[in-house]
Amino acid sequence: MHHKLSRILAASVLGSALLSGATTASADATGAMVSNPCAGCHGIEGASQGQAPVIAGLSQMYLASTMKAYRDGQRYATIMDRIAKGYTDAQIDAMSGHFANIGWPTNNQTVDADQAAKGQKLHTSSGCAGCHGATGVSMMPNAPRLAGQYAGFLEQQMHDYKDAAKAIPPGAMVMRSMLAAMSDEDIAALAAFYASQK
Amino acid sequence: MAFNRREFVKLTGATAGLATLGLPLVSRAKGSVSIVVIGGGYGGATAAKYCRAYMPDAKVTLIEKNKYYYSCPFSNEVLGGESKIEDVRFGYDGIASHGIDVVIDEVTGVDPAAKSVATKGGKNVSYDYLVVSPGVSFKNNIEGYDEAAMEKMPHAWKAGPQTTLLRKQLEEMEDGGVVMLVAPPNPFRCPPGPYERASQIAHYLKHHKPKSKLIIMDSKDKFSKQGLFMEGWKANYDGIIEWRKAADDGKVVGVDANEGILRTEFEEHKPAVANVIPAQTAGALASAIGLTNESGWCPVDQRTFESSIIKDVYVIGDSCIAGKMPKSGYAANSQGKVAAAAIAAKVGGYDMPDPSYVNTCYSLITPDWGISVAAVYQYTPEGIVGVKGAGGLSPMGAPESTRKAEAMYARSWFRNITTDLFG
Ligand SMILES: Cc1cc2nc3c(=O)[nH]c(=O)nc-3n(C[C@H](O)[C@H](O)[C@H](O)COP(=O)(O)OP(=O)(O)OC[C@H]3O[C@@H](n4cnc5c(N)ncnc54)[C@H](O)[C@@H]3O)c2cc1C
Ligand code: HEC
Ligand code: HEC
Repeated sequence: MHHKLSRILAASVLGSALLSGATTASADATGAMVSNPCAGCHGIEGASQGQAPVIAGLSQMYLASTMKAYRDGQRYATIMDRIAKGYTDAQIDAMSGHFANIGWPTNNQTVDADQAAKGQKLHTSSGCAGCHGATGVSMMPNAPRLAGQYAGFLEQQMHDYKDAAKAIPPGAMVMRSMLAAMSDEDIAALAAFYASQK
Repeated sequence: MAFNRREFVKLTGATAGLATLGLPLVSRAKGSVSIVVIGGGYGGATAAKYCRAYMPDAKVTLIEKNKYYYSCPFSNEVLGGESKIEDVRFGYDGIASHGIDVVIDEVTGVDPAAKSVATKGGKNVSYDYLVVSPGVSFKNNIEGYDEAAMEKMPHAWKAGPQTTLLRKQLEEMEDGGVVMLVAPPNPFRCPPGPYERASQIAHYLKHHKPKSKLIIMDSKDKFSKQGLFMEGWKANYDGIIEWRKAADDGKVVGVDANEGILRTEFEEHKPAVANVIPAQTAGALASAIGLTNESGWCPVDQRTFESSIIKDVYVIGDSCIAGKMPKSGYAANSQGKVAAAAIAAKVGGYDMPDPSYVNTCYSLITPDWGISVAAVYQYTPEGIVGVKGAGGLSPMGAPESTRKAEAMYARSWFRNITTDLFG
């Protein structure tokens, strides 16, 4: 966390220069205030250190749409559905802007190299790269970054996409059929591949 | 991405920092504003770090009586054997590395007129703004349960040596011994905590003392996440955990610690191990300073956490009255951020944006069976209330895969929140 606080601190030079116009920051301030409590689960400034997903650096469009999907019962979750119901559209938009403005953090996950290699093959041969890029860094603003995301979370999401009993957003439906034929081992291998990417 | 984090910071730090911090940074001549935080737990550690982040030029001092903080969250897992006591132990080097003065000393008094804090070690530290987060103290609701009794019948409701003691007693107990867990009356820190603890101890018994059982002696007739706990116990600990509610003579009114006896209204019990959790009230320091009202807890302006009794003193965490928020670590962490923002706004002379708070309490019934209760809160003129329609419990009857995922996210929560506090 050290450099994250210092990143905040680094802003002070500019901050003091801008202080005279302090109240112009109120839109940002709202984003920061509503986003602050997310840190308990998603890490400081969205840079999770555990298996809950990194949310810093995802696109504003994806963040907003997925939060609304959780809220409106369109995306299965263990807990985000209950959390997202606490926010208005305006608050969700403010938070999405807040997290989208932060760079994607570098995580160091230990993954099994063989599994990751198997996952990479599957990623390419199954056509995931079409939307998610060769290494899991998507060029489409509605497809989230998979590279460097936590394996436990990703594995969970793929199982949810696969399970026809679970609600998933329309944009994820294409993956339901793609994942249908995959075994638990395949899914674990894909997750390991994405987790191994930086 | 080609940048590693540190380079990224260097390259874009200034602009990204401003955008992400959001709150107007408050800058003054170095050290001209002095903020003192008492208590380096979930509330205080958060407040100190966020005060420093919002007011980089302020002098921030954290006064904590213990060199190491032992987290209550995940201390039940130490009792269950999944975690070690070192896993819940944190030092203050991380906090000090941000330029916060960490003073390991016990606060003995505060003079609100002189705006000064006195410590046992003889220091006097003056403040412009004071944040108080001393946790809870125990009440004498159980006859005979004094300091000496705590060494025989540990409460383990403040983690550390008490946790280690209870774990040792469980390890030394013979197979077939009965453990009694005395659950406290409301309000107390971590409403699901005693029942998570029962689960964790049962996990240990099931695998190491299969002839033993655990009885919860309760002074209440219902408890937090009751349906989910009962469901999890039936699936995992059938015949191991028994819950005796107040109406069934579950309420323990006295102990004889030397004889190992627990007394209810009608009966005496002699368990092999007794874990006695007494009733609770605001941290002793809060009442010593005069921050409590007749309820024993500290009334505050729930928008800012400034004490309703003493100006420029902010009370957060278990000690404060925070509307509908429970007394939990996550709540204390949320409150620490709001108090820091309120102080920054006051120092900077701008209006604080509307506060927002979250609480979630995860409980592990087994290492692979997690459940949770969550809420999002907002401030209204009536105080802090849950946002309608949000939050609630994990669903009943969820598949084991969901329980397992929640257990994974519970550990993730601990990792992230303790980094927020001490990293
Ligand atoms: C078994 C158990 C499990 C729990 N599990 C969870 C959970 O899973 N999730 C959750 O959110 N919450 C949980 N909690 C609740 C959580 O621990 C508390 O709500 C939280 O610690 C409150 O934070 P606080 O800052 O008010 O107090 P604390 O974290 O207790 O911090 C108070 C600090 O103040 C210091 N202090 C006190 N007096 C003085 C003085 N005079 N001078 C100097 N320092 C002083 C103390 O040494 C201490 O470090 C659990 C609690 C227990 C007991
Ligand atoms: C109690 C813990 C908790 C809190 C609080 C929480 N989250 Fe989450 N979040 C999760 C978990 C766990 C997931 C994975 C989905 C699930 O099972 O709920 C998740 C998933 C997400 C995702 C999806 C990420 C992706 O890559 O698809 C977003 C976005 C998100 N959360 C945003 C937020 C924001 C913004 C907040 C603050 C308002 C927040 N969360 C608060 C635990 C939490
Ligand atoms: C047609 C484009 C497309 C293809 C092909 C595709 N995805 Fe996706 N993927 C998406 C979109 C869009 C989302 C976001 C869905 C949403 O809004 O919840 C997503 C989300 C995901 C997520 C969840 C990430 C997160 O942070 O929540 C995973 C994991 C994932 N995809 C894996 C795969 C895998 C594995 C394949 C190949 C089998 C694949 N995807 C193929 C478009 C695609």
